[in-house]
Amino acid sequence: MDAHLRTFVIRSAFLFLISLVLVAGFWYHREFYQIGFTNLLIIGGVVTFLVIWAARLALSGELPRGRPRGELTFSMEEADRLLKSVARLVVRPSEGTTIPGVGHVVRARYDTGPEFGRLLIEDAHRAFLSDLTEADARQAGYRSADELRETGAARWRWRPADVVTVLRVRSVGGSR
Amino acid sequence: MNLSSAAILAGVAMDAWLLALVAIRGRRVWLQATYAACSLAYIALGASFVGANEGVLSPLRDDVALGIVLVAHALTAILVLGLLHGETLPRQRPWAFLLLIPVPLLAFLAPIEGWTAAAAYEGNAVGGFLVICLGIALGETIYAGYSSRLLAGPSVWLTLGVVALIVAGPVYAYELEFLREPSLAGANLASPIALACFALVALQADPFPISSRSSTAGTKSRVLPEQDAIVFEEVRPNYALRTADEASAAGRSTLIVGRNSASKFAGGAGFAAVLPSRHAALRALTTASEFLTASPGGLVVVEDVADLSTLSEWPATAEAVVRLRHVARRTHSTVIFSTSRLTNGERQAVRDLRLTWWALPDPPREIEAILAQSFGDGAARLLASFGRARGIRREDLTTDQVPALLDFLTRALAELSGVVAGTAAHGLRTQLDAAANSLQSFAALTAEEVARGEWPSRASPEDHPELLVTAAEYWKGKEMEELFTAADELILEEEK
Repeated sequence: MDAHLRTFVIRSAFLFLISLVLVAGFWYHREFYQIGFTNLLIIGGVVTFLVIWAARLALSGELPRGRPRGELTFSMEEADRLLKSVARLVVRPSEGTTIPGVGHVVRARYDTGPEFGRLLIEDAHRAFLSDLTEADARQAGYRSADELRETGAARWRWRPADVVTVLRVRSVGGSR
Repeated sequence: MNLSSAAILAGVAMDAWLLALVAIRGRRVWLQATYAACSLAYIALGASFVGANEGVLSPLRDDVALGIVLVAHALTAILVLGLLHGETLPRQRPWAFLLLIPVPLLAFLAPIEGWTAAAAYEGNAVGGFLVICLGIALGETIYAGYSSRLLAGPSVWLTLGVVALIVAGPVYAYELEFLREPSLAGANLASPIALACFALVALQADPFPISSRSSTAGTKSRVLPEQDAIVFEEVRPNYALRTADEASAAGRSTLIVGRNSASKFAGGAGFAAVLPSRHAALRALTTASEFLTASPGGLVVVEDVADLSTLSEWPATAEAVVRLRHVARRTHSTVIFSTSRLTNGERQAVRDLRLTWWALPDPPREIEAILAQSFGDGAARLLASFGRARGIRREDLTTDQVPALLDFLTRALAELSGVVAGTAAHGLRTQLDAAANSLQSFAALTAEEVARGEWPSRASPEDHPELLVTAAEYWKGKEMEELFTAADELILEEEK
């Protein structure tokens, strides 16, 4: 079965189950709702709204982490390394870059614009560019720290005394 | 067993498990005690209901059951306030504990007034008290979520927990009464949900583990002036760590909150390693609060404000800085923040807080400037030779390495004894002595003295005319070059 179709069926079945639970709940409380149509409308409406709202968030994959906040852009090579899980670290200049905190999800885009996935930020720290180690560079998908610095110098005009943000990320799915 | 008993019994089991979890995992004794008391109250009510309903236990006396209901609600409010305000609650909001005062009075009046746990939420003094307790808890969490970026996340869970208690408490009691169903006699179906939310918040804000906590009493030392918060503006947190070391050595309870400096810091201060978490700023705050509450007059050094900002984002970190200052003020302590690796915007935001600000030099630059006063442009080369010999990068040089640097230079000069003699050797030794004096004087300066004083790198060349003439003109570079060569040769010898 096509993945999209399977997802659609699972989500629809889940929503149908929730609908059944709601109806059962209203039936169980039928005597309570005899206090009046207005009360039923207000209480039932609020409950239904909250349940559907929560279900929508759950089905969209935005629970428990919430919607993606912010985005990071990557070259084709960097994106390829991330998608193939060759790279786990992302190094970005600290100055002038807004990055959400740990535990948030960011949109990952090619520098040409299209989104290619979403990344969960698992850890983050700041370091002087000169403090980046060979291990850092390899985890970021580069052969050496020098290569990482040279790439950054070409893209962001890095200097050794600059401060960079080092993110450890994990892919949490493709673009939606 | 009917459905209500089964649900309440499952809730009791869940409550007990959560209590054990918080007792084992938590690091805040006061909060754990409050959580335990609150949990036990809900567990007692649930067990009593199930026992009586199933005929296993005799029902509790009405006044006792009502007393437990009152205690459970009062402790819920106190627990929520404790989760929001941490270990500072007993000092900051003692009125929260006033909530416990009406409990014995209401329990005493219960038999006289005919109040029972089964009808606890009716429109009387007991119902009013219970609603006030839940209202305080809900109001405080909503206010915290609205006004604080640091507590916005926890307040969502706390709100969920309190709302669950309200729905399964007064709202459900009203529905049962309307349906003429038997009441739950004070047991709350949502207690596991609420306690799970409270446990989550308690663990999210749990202090970082502290290694090698100093056992000395929190005595004031003269390492630092009487300030609640001092910002150390420096490239790397050298002076912040050194001040922690000095304060610890002087007998002051000291804690460093950082990510990776445990290995490079060998002093007697405690070290709390910041763990990667969205709530790192909140945890740093609770860590420092716990430490300073336990050790009033102590010192906390937050060396990685930049990393807290990266983990928890700047608004939450800035709020943690402000709250930490208040904690330090209340406990007559001092907290040091290092601006190392902050962005310009973040540094300006800290400056806008108008804390005591100490601009501090970068030790490698100052050491090189001092050497340059004696050895001219060759200072950088000497420093590089020393770095290679010791395996130290230039940026990692601190004043701690001054004795080793002087030893290195002395040995390099000794190597020259066969080459340079007479007046030249004497002059070179004079130059080295001058540099040694300057280096030792600089290394002996405390952070406060350095912040107030003139840095060697800022001194104009005119300040040392005699040295510059000697280096640049008298020796004409010849002996200097030999000194540099000797220093390079020392590296080769050490490698052998």
